[in-house]
Amino acid sequence: MSNKSKKYAMLFDLRKCIGCNTCSIVCKSENDVPLSVWRAWVKKIEKGHYPHVREFSLPIVCNNCEDPICVTVCPVNAGIKRPDGIVYIDPHRCIGCRYCMASCPYGVRYINPRKKIAEKCYWCHHRVDAGLMPACVVTCPTGAILFGDLNDPESEIAQVIAKNAVHVIKPEMGTSPQTYYIGLDIEAVETVEEEK
Amino acid sequence: METQVLYNITHQETFGLFIAIYFYLTGLSAGSFILSTLSYGFGMEQYKPLGKVGVVLATILLIFAPLFLLFHIGAPYRAWHLFVYLNWSSPITWGSFLLVLYPINCIIYGIFMFKGNLKLTRLFGFIGIPLAISVHGYTGFILAFGKARALWNTAIMPILFLASAIVSGIALMILVCLIIGRFFSKEKTINKDLIFSLSKMLAWMIVFDLFLVGSDLLVLSISHSDAQAAFHLLLGGNFSFLFLVVENVLGKILPFILLVVPRFRNLVTVTIASILVVVGIFFMRYVVVLAGEFIPLL
Repeated sequence: MSNKSKKYAMLFDLRKCIGCNTCSIVCKSENDVPLSVWRAWVKKIEKGHYPHVREFSLPIVCNNCEDPICVTVCPVNAGIKRPDGIVYIDPHRCIGCRYCMASCPYGVRYINPRKKIAEKCYWCHHRVDAGLMPACVVTCPTGAILFGDLNDPESEIAQVIAKNAVHVIKPEMGTSPQTYYIGLDIEAVETVEEEK
Repeated sequence: METQVLYNITHQETFGLFIAIYFYLTGLSAGSFILSTLSYGFGMEQYKPLGKVGVVLATILLIFAPLFLLFHIGAPYRAWHLFVYLNWSSPITWGSFLLVLYPINCIIYGIFMFKGNLKLTRLFGFIGIPLAISVHGYTGFILAFGKARALWNTAIMPILFLASAIVSGIALMILVCLIIGRFFSKEKTINKDLIFSLSKMLAWMIVFDLFLVGSDLLVLSISHSDAQAAFHLLLGGNFSFLFLVVENVLGKILPFILLVVPRFRNLVTVTIASILVVVGIFFMRYVVVLAGEFIPLL
């Protein structure tokens, strides 16, 4: 199904994101994600002191990196980088060693509590291959998520990325993430929960 | 700017206690094997009693170590995938072959040693040394390739693992020699010269290990922000007690003092020092594996 001339990317326009978690929920039902784990979620942080407070949302999915460290370290070649850019895990091959989870800088992988193998977001490749958009893209109520082919100059995502200041999470990791953000807040990426 | 996280998802730990135990056992095995080749490979006659003890320990420990990997992985019945679907850029693929070749070589080496065929013992001893170094060194590469975790992703990790493997191997060997000498040998006496020469070796390997830990910490403290967070986690955070007190003071500095100060030198202090080292190196593995993944990434 995959086409060599395609290069898929996803874009979150955080100016439009209202943090409603629709993407998290539709992902759960589309991909049959078990309880306690998530393929897509919205990290929320709060900045400032009352009354000058603002809440920021950061929707997180797999970055489907161009140079994915998870594929490099997988000992059984279960992580596969498709020519069109989607990184997916072969569920029949994964042995659940968790090395990909240990090396992923974004923490997007989890062990499926039922199957005991690694899983993550793969931009709904079953829908993309059928000519549909990923589930989170079609359900986002504000249209904040774009998905498409960067090699096609006519596609909406290619035009938006060409005309706007975009950023990715943790570019210093050298993985070339393909999930882009407009209006990414540095604090939303770097603030982590206090150790318990 | 005051910021706090309102909502986030963190998934479960990746490498846990079982991986720490696995690293510990391969380290003990590699250390024991290298000690056993001192006499049968390099001809240091004073270490001859270590030869047979070392190879038996190395083999037994390395037969148990991979069991912890099977406990760790989610789908152990698919472990054969490791030998069929190879990815040479993954240290775990290197390891799956090392974990087969090294115990086989240990067994062959041991059989020739017990049969008294010194020439072939020497040959398989020399084949075994690079295997022993690799079988433990590759575990350092497993952590070093986890590039998201600042504590793991350093080039010093494999050599740090090897140094602590030799430290724990010598300490275990001292303990085993004491027990064998005291209870199981014909004369029921302990070979004091052997114990004290091993304890001198242990003391200087501890110094080398402390140097590596110190240089790792020093570079972490001035490196990028994640590395600094790891530095503070080890020295002032949740792992500071295990790292400072158990691993370094009780596990390295105190045994070093017990071993080098001439006034303290007797069999009791050597025994105490070796027990402290064996326990301390276990917590070194525990701290490296669990503290490395303790800080959330996003």
